[in-house]
Amino acid sequence: MTRQPQTPSIDFTALTLKDALDLAILIEEEARDRYEELSAQLVLHRTPGAAAFFSKMVRIEELHRKQLLEERTKAFGDQPSAVRREMIFDIEAPDYDEARAEMTTRQALETALRSEEKAHRFFVEVLSHVQNPEVKKLFEELRDEEVEHQQLVKAELAKLPPGDPLQGVDVGDGPAPQ
Amino acid sequence: MTAPAVFEAKHYKSELKPIWCPGCGDFGVLQGLYRALSAVGRPPHEVAFISGIGCSSRIPGYTTAYGFNTVHGRSLPIAQGVKLANPDLLVVVAGGDGDGFSIGGGHVAHAVRRNIDLTYLVMDNQVYGLTKGQLSPTSPKGLETVTSPLGSLEDPINPLLYMLAYGAGFVAQATPADMPGMTALIEEAIRYPGFSFVNIQSPCVTFGEEDQQLKAHKTKMKTLASLKHDSSNQLAALDLARAYGTELYTGVFYRNPNPPPTYEALVKLRQAEQSKKARPHHQLLEAYLQK
Ligand SMILES: Cc1ncc(C[n+]2csc(CCOP(=O)(O)OP(=O)(O)O)c2C)c(N)n1
Ligand code: SF4
Repeated sequence: MTRQPQTPSIDFTALTLKDALDLAILIEEEARDRYEELSAQLVLHRTPGAAAFFSKMVRIEELHRKQLLEERTKAFGDQPSAVRREMIFDIEAPDYDEARAEMTTRQALETALRSEEKAHRFFVEVLSHVQNPEVKKLFEELRDEEVEHQQLVKAELAKLPPGDPLQGVDVGDGPAPQ
Repeated sequence: MTAPAVFEAKHYKSELKPIWCPGCGDFGVLQGLYRALSAVGRPPHEVAFISGIGCSSRIPGYTTAYGFNTVHGRSLPIAQGVKLANPDLLVVVAGGDGDGFSIGGGHVAHAVRRNIDLTYLVMDNQVYGLTKGQLSPTSPKGLETVTSPLGSLEDPINPLLYMLAYGAGFVAQATPADMPGMTALIEEAIRYPGFSFVNIQSPCVTFGEEDQQLKAHKTKMKTLASLKHDSSNQLAALDLARAYGTELYTGVFYRNPNPPPTYEALVKLRQAEQSKKARPHHQLLEAYLQK
C-alpha cells in the first residue's frame, strides 16, 4: 500500500503545441543550467579546459532556448504554461556523474555528445506516444536537430589532437575531497 | 496536469555553490531534494535541514530553508529538539553513513522509537568522504582503505535492517541513478506522518569503489515494485532488506499502513489532559495565599 507521490508527470498523448513548445524550452533551460553548474564545478576544481567547453555549451543551449521562446511567444503570447521544470529529468542535461575533476576537453566534448544522443533518444521515444500532428512535427524537427548537434560535436572532437598528452600523467595533487 | 506549484525547485536552491567533487552522487540527491520539496509545497521558511558533519552534511547550506550543520553524529538529537520546539516545521535530517551509523549510531534507536515526525536521509557512500576515504560502518568486508590497508575484517552494518528492526514506520532505499524514482521516494518519506528513513546510495567518486558508482547502479538496481513487494508487509521488508550489500533494491521496503500517533501529537494530547486538571489562573494566587 504505497501512497503515490504527488508530482504530476507529462501525458504525451494529450500534449498540445503550446505545452510541447514549453516543454522544449524547459529541456534547453535544464541543459543550460546543468552545463553552467558543471562549468562552475570544474573551475572550482582547477579543470579550466573542460570548464571553458561547458561554458560554451551554456551559450549554445541558451541560444536554442531563446529561439524556441520566440516561436512560443509568437504563437501563444503569454498564455500560462501547463508544464513545469519539475516534470522533466535530465533530458538533454548531462548527468552529474559525467563530470570529473581533471577531466580533459575531449572527455567534456564526449559528455556533450552523450547528452545530445540522450536527447535524441527521448524525442524518438515520445514521438511514439504523441498524437497531435503539430506536436509531432515539432518533435520531429527537434529530434533531427539533435542529430545535427551530434555532428557538430563530432566535428569539434575531430579537431582535437588524438588522446590527451597529459591524461593519466601525475601532474600534481589528486582531486581535493570536500 | 495540475496547476503549477507555488514553490518551484529553484526556490529551495541557495546561492552557495556546492564544493563537492565533480561527479559526486550528492549533486543528484540535492536536485531530487529540491524537487521533492517543491512537490510537497511547503515554503522554504517552514522547512529546516539539520545535518552532522561530512561531505553530505553540507546540504543545509545549499538550500534556502533554515539549516543547521551541527556536530558529527548529532544531527538526530538536534533535529528532535528542533521539531519538538516547533512542531509546525518540516524537519529533514541529512548526513552520511559515518555520521549516522558510526558516531551517531546510538541515536538512531531513540529517534525511531520516539516516532517524531522527521525525515532522515542518509547518503550512504560506504566510506568517510570528507576525511579522505577511511573505512565507514557500511564499507564492505575486505575493502582496502587508508585505515584498512590489508582489507577490512568487519562486516558492514545494514542500515535498512537497523531501521526496520527498531520499528521505523517508513523505510526506503534510493539511488540518484534513478532520479525520478529517488525524488518520488524522498517526497513520500517527507509526507509520511512519523519518522521516515531513506537510505540513498550516493557514490563517492573520489574514494568509492568502481562497483558502487552510478554506472554500476544503473545495471544493478531493481525496483521493489518489480518484485511485487507489498510495502505494508513488515516481515517481507525485513527479508528483502537482508540483501543490502549484495542487491540494490530501490523503493519502499516498509510503510506502516496505520501510522501511530507521533511523539509530538502525544505530547500535545498530554498537555491538553493536564491543562484540564489544572486550576484556573485566578485560583493559583488564592492557593498560594492560603498556605
Ligand atoms: C567528533 C568528531 N569526530 C570525528 C570527526 C572527523 N570527521 C568528519 S566527517 C567524518 C566522517 C564523514 O563520513 P560520512 O559521515 O559518511 O560522510 P561523507 O563525508 O562520506 O558524506 C569524520 C570522521 C569530526 N568532525 N568530529
Ligand atoms: S570526497 Fe566523495 S563524498 Fe566527498 S565530495 Fe568528493 S566524491 Fe563526494
